[in-house]
Amino acid sequence: MLRNGAESFGLVSRLLHWGIAGLVVVMLSLGLRLEDMQPGLANLWLYGLHKSLGLLTLSLMLARILWHLYSPPPRPIGGGWQARAARATHGAIYLLLLAIPLSGWIGSAATGLDVVIFDRWTLPAIAPVSPDWEARAFALHDALTKVLILLLFLHMGAALKREMDGDGTLRRMITGRARD
Amino acid sequence: MRPTILATLAALALTALPATARPVPYILEPAESVVGFETDFGPDLITGDMPVKTADLILDFDRVENSQIAVALDVTGAQASFPFAAQALKGPKVLDSASFPEMSFQSTRVTPQGEGAAVEGLLTIRGVTRPVSLDAMIWRQKGHAEGDLSQLTVRLTGAVLRSDYGATGWADMVGDEVRLTILARIARVD
Repeated sequence: MLRNGAESFGLVSRLLHWGIAGLVVVMLSLGLRLEDMQPGLANLWLYGLHKSLGLLTLSLMLARILWHLYSPPPRPIGGGWQARAARATHGAIYLLLLAIPLSGWIGSAATGLDVVIFDRWTLPAIAPVSPDWEARAFALHDALTKVLILLLFLHMGAALKREMDGDGTLRRMITGRARD
Repeated sequence: MRPTILATLAALALTALPATARPVPYILEPAESVVGFETDFGPDLITGDMPVKTADLILDFDRVENSQIAVALDVTGAQASFPFAAQALKGPKVLDSASFPEMSFQSTRVTPQGEGAAVEGLLTIRGVTRPVSLDAMIWRQKGHAEGDLSQLTVRLTGAVLRSDYGATGWADMVGDEVRLTILARIARVD
């Protein structure tokens, strides 16, 4: 089933979830490396890769939101405060996965250099060329990423905990259903 | 700037063409003239060049100190070894070519130095003028007989700190010292 059910995740949502999760892991390690890397000709392409994958992440997140408007995901299993906390965490992760790429794009545009992705396409400059915009956007990019890392640990920890408790939360995101 | 002259060339000039023992105006051959630069980029170099827009030269092969050089460069035509570097170079954080499309040098003092000359002068970048000293050499161009000073090649070399001129962008990635090689091919105004 491509679409989500009342209690199940469809294939599209699962592919988006794990595809974006994989991208985020790559982007976090890449971004943390860029942060204290001495740039040179040999590693300049890593900045291009970071921008390319960042835009891909943003695009997939927009596709995910549109898909979920069309085919809403099931509610968290169980209820009470844990379900509310799960929904809040999911919402915050969605916001961060939009805001982090956008702040990176804004900071890059503010440097005055073209934001080129996949060595081919130049993105529109969505910010004025300004050292202030650049500094603030990248500071935000950095701070939001640290918040994202915290929330991802919480998200993964909670999913593992509930799986160990036997309610099928993690299994549902892998196979689509909490139980056979 | 004032051009420097090879002592040997000057000697040749004097013996072969005694009429040149006076200040002689030269004009630039812009298509054949270029300013090359390089700066450090991590373990690598960024190289590039900038077209010479105008150059007014008066060379005195007898009294080098009477020579004068004034050069203007076209910042908007700058090129670099990779696309981002050219864009960064011309952008507001470095040369700001939109506000300052021209760089210029005006010699204030030329003194013989070895086979060439030391050219002191005022360099203006981003509207900031500061004194610099360049080393100069002059050669006869290929295909010209000894003593024929109708077409010459002037090479000026030196280094500047871009931070002196407020061109401070990407200071964490790109070196402060910019090494310059100005290669001007000039023709005598007859």
